[in-house]
Amino acid sequence: MMGGYGDIKLLREDGLRLDGRKVDEMREVEIEAGILPAADGSAWVKHGLNVAVCAVYGPMEAHPRKIQRQDRCVIDVRYNMAPFSTSDRIRPGYNRRSREISKVTAESLESVVLVERYPRSKIRVEIEILAAEAGTRCVGITAAAVALADAGIPMRDLIVGVAAGKIEDTVVLDLDKAEDNYGQADLPMGILPTTGEIAFLQMDGDLSIEEYNTCVEYNMKAAKEIHELQKDALKRRYEEKMRGES
Amino acid sequence: MSGAGTGAELRLVTPGEAIETSSGVRAGTGTISYGDAIIATKVGWVNNNNGVISVDPINSAYMPRSGDLVIGVIESVRNNLWFADVNGPFNGLLPMSLAPWKVEFGAAREQMDIGDVMLARVQEVDEAHNIVLTMKGVGLRRLKEGFMLEVSMTHISRIRGDNDSTLNMLKDATDCRIIVGDNGRLWIDGDSEGLSVMKKIIDFVRNEGHKENFKATLVEFIEDARRNL
Amino acid sequence: MVELVPKLLQQELKRLAENDQRIDGRSRWESRDIKLETNCLYNAEGSAKVTWGETIIYAGVKFEVRTPWPDRPAQGSLMCGAELRPVAGRKYEPGPPSPESIELGRVVDRGIRESGCIDMDSLCIIPGEKVLGIMIDIHVLSDKGNIFDACALGAIAALRTAIVPAERFDVGEDYPLAVSMTPTMCSFTRVGGRYVLDANDEEELGGNERIHITLGDEGHLHSLQKGLKGTFTPAEFDEILQVAQQRCAELAELVNSQEA
Repeated sequence: MMGGYGDIKLLREDGLRLDGRKVDEMREVEIEAGILPAADGSAWVKHGLNVAVCAVYGPMEAHPRKIQRQDRCVIDVRYNMAPFSTSDRIRPGYNRRSREISKVTAESLESVVLVERYPRSKIRVEIEILAAEAGTRCVGITAAAVALADAGIPMRDLIVGVAAGKIEDTVVLDLDKAEDNYGQADLPMGILPTTGEIAFLQMDGDLSIEEYNTCVEYNMKAAKEIHELQKDALKRRYEEKMRGES
Repeated sequence: MSGAGTGAELRLVTPGEAIETSSGVRAGTGTISYGDAIIATKVGWVNNNNGVISVDPINSAYMPRSGDLVIGVIESVRNNLWFADVNGPFNGLLPMSLAPWKVEFGAAREQMDIGDVMLARVQEVDEAHNIVLTMKGVGLRRLKEGFMLEVSMTHISRIRGDNDSTLNMLKDATDCRIIVGDNGRLWIDGDSEGLSVMKKIIDFVRNEGHKENFKATLVEFIEDARRNL
Repeated sequence: MVELVPKLLQQELKRLAENDQRIDGRSRWESRDIKLETNCLYNAEGSAKVTWGETIIYAGVKFEVRTPWPDRPAQGSLMCGAELRPVAGRKYEPGPPSPESIELGRVVDRGIRESGCIDMDSLCIIPGEKVLGIMIDIHVLSDKGNIFDACALGAIAALRTAIVPAERFDVGEDYPLAVSMTPTMCSFTRVGGRYVLDANDEEELGGNERIHITLGDEGHLHSLQKGLKGTFTPAEFDEILQVAQQRCAELAELVNSQEA
C-alpha cells in the first residue's frame, strides 16, 4: 500500500484516473432488493465490477445459549468471498481477513438495528462476495443494510459502505483494483446517510490530517448518492407490487 | 392495513427517513422520535391516525402478543409439557395444566406428538419473550385434518378484510373451512376441488396482497377460478 | 438444523398424490421454469447463474497451472465442489462443509468427470512438469428445492463457456476450453408415495428418498445416486429413467444454446 511502485501511473496527464473517472467520482452502483426467495430479506449490489449478495434470516433464537444477550439481539454476520470471486481461486472456508471484516461489519450493523427489540435472539446476515474488484467490505455493508430493511428488521437509519484513499499523493474516491494495489492509502467507512454518523471505520496506508478530511468529505458525498439508490431499490420492490407491475 | 384503499395518496418510506417534524404528533409503531423528527424504522406505508404517526410495514417478523390466536407445530414433548413452533423467534410452551386433556405422567405424546399441528392462544409473553400457550378455550384443538399454509404477516389483515368480510367471501366461494392465525399461518380444509381453488386464492394473495385494488381484483379472480373448475 | 415436518404436510402430499396432483399445481413429470445465464461473473473464467423456480445457484470455473500427479504425468485434473453456506436457507448452519454439501459436490463431479467430456490429456502443457487443473465451484444462494439439478446444470454450463487464461499463465494465447459433451442431471423425489420430477422445497420437506440420474449425449448413464431414507423397486427406476432420457436431452439443449 505504501507506494514503492514508482513505475505505475494511476493518474493520467489530464488529471483523470486510468478508468476515466474524476478524483471525486465513484464507480457505477446498481442495487436490487429481495432477490433471494429463500431468505427473509435480501439484496444484490453491483459496485463497479464488485458483486455482493446478502441474505438476512431472523430474528430467531440465539444458539448456542452462551451468545444470547438478555437485553438485545446479536447480529451474526458472515462475510465470505466465493472461491471464484478473485483472479486466483480462494480456498473455501473462513480466514483471518473474513473473520475480522465479519466482526466489525456486525458491530456497525448493531449500531443501526434496534437490537433491544429482540432480546435473546439473533439475526443472521450472510454476505457473499461473488466478484471482487477492491472495496468488497463496503459493498457488503451497503447490501446488508438493504437486506435488513427488506426483512422488516427495525433500524434507525440505513448504512452505506464507501471508501476514499490516496494515489500519487492525490485523494480519490472509491479505489478500484489497481488503485487499491498500488495506491498509498485506503479509508473505508460505514456511514448513516441521514444523520452523517460513522459506524464503520478502517484505514491503512499514509494520510495527512488534511488528506483524511478530504477523504471523509468525499465519502460523505458518495454515501448520499448510494443512499438514494438503496431507497430506490427498496421502494421499487414494493411500489411495483403495489401498482401491479411485478 | 388502514390507509390502503381509501384513495388517499400513500407514502412509502425507508428506515431513517424523517416522516414528520410538526409538533403535536406522536411516534407510533414502525417509527421512533429523533430530536424534533419522527423517523421511520421500517419499509412501509405512512399512516397518520389522529396525530399518531406509524408505518405499516411491508415485511415483518411475527412477534407473539398475549391473546394471539396461533397455529403451531409441535417441536418437542416432555413428560408434562409441549414445545411448539409458532413462526416466531422462540418456541411456545404449552404446560399440561393449560392443555384440554388430562393425561398420565409420561403419556403426553399420545395426545400430541412431534409434527402435530395445533390451534392455540398465547396466554402470556414475558419480557424475555418466553411464550406460554393455552389450549383451553372454544375451538382450540389439535388440527388432525386439513392443511397449513404460511403467508407474510402483512397479508393476514388483507385475508380477513373489514369485519372478516374477505374471509367470509373466501369461505363462500370455496366451501372450505379456514382459520387465520395471527402468526402468519392459515389452516384450510374442504373437498379436493374447494382446496385447490383456495390454494390458488392464497397464492393470489401472496402475489397481489400489497396492491391498492386488491379486494376488487380478488373478487374477479375468484369468479374466474370458479368458472374454470 | 433438523427441519420440523408438519404431519399435515405429509397428509396433504399423500392426498394430492392419490389424485395425481402436486402441491404447486404441476403435473408429475413437469419441471419448474429454468433461467440460465452464462458469463455473468467477472474474475471467473467460466460462469453460470441458474434460476430454477425459486432456487438460485452460481457456478464459477477457475484454472491453475500445477505439476502433474506422479502416476499421471501427462494428464490435467478436474475438481468440482459445492458450498451449501448459511446464505442458502434458514436450515443451513455455519461450520465445516456438511456431509450434504460434500455429497452434492461429488455427485455433480462424477457426472461431469465420468461422461469423459473433458479430455484430461488435452490439459497437459509440458509432460511431467506443467498441467492445467480445472476447478468448478458451485455456490447455492437460495434453496427452494432440487439444488442437485440446478448445480449440475450450472456446472456444465460454466464449463462449456470457460476460456482458458493461457496468457496469464504464460503458456500461449487464451482459448476456449474443449468440452465434448453435455452431461445433465435429473432428480426424482418420492412425494406422497410416488416419484415426481424436480421436487420443490415443500415436497422435499414432506417427501422421502431421492434419486439423481446423470445422462450424457448418448443417453448413457454417468452418475447415479440414491439419497435419504427409503427404498425403491426396479420397476420404479425403469419408469423414472424413461422420463430422465427425455428431460436430460432438453436440459442439454438449453446448455448448448448458450454457446452461440
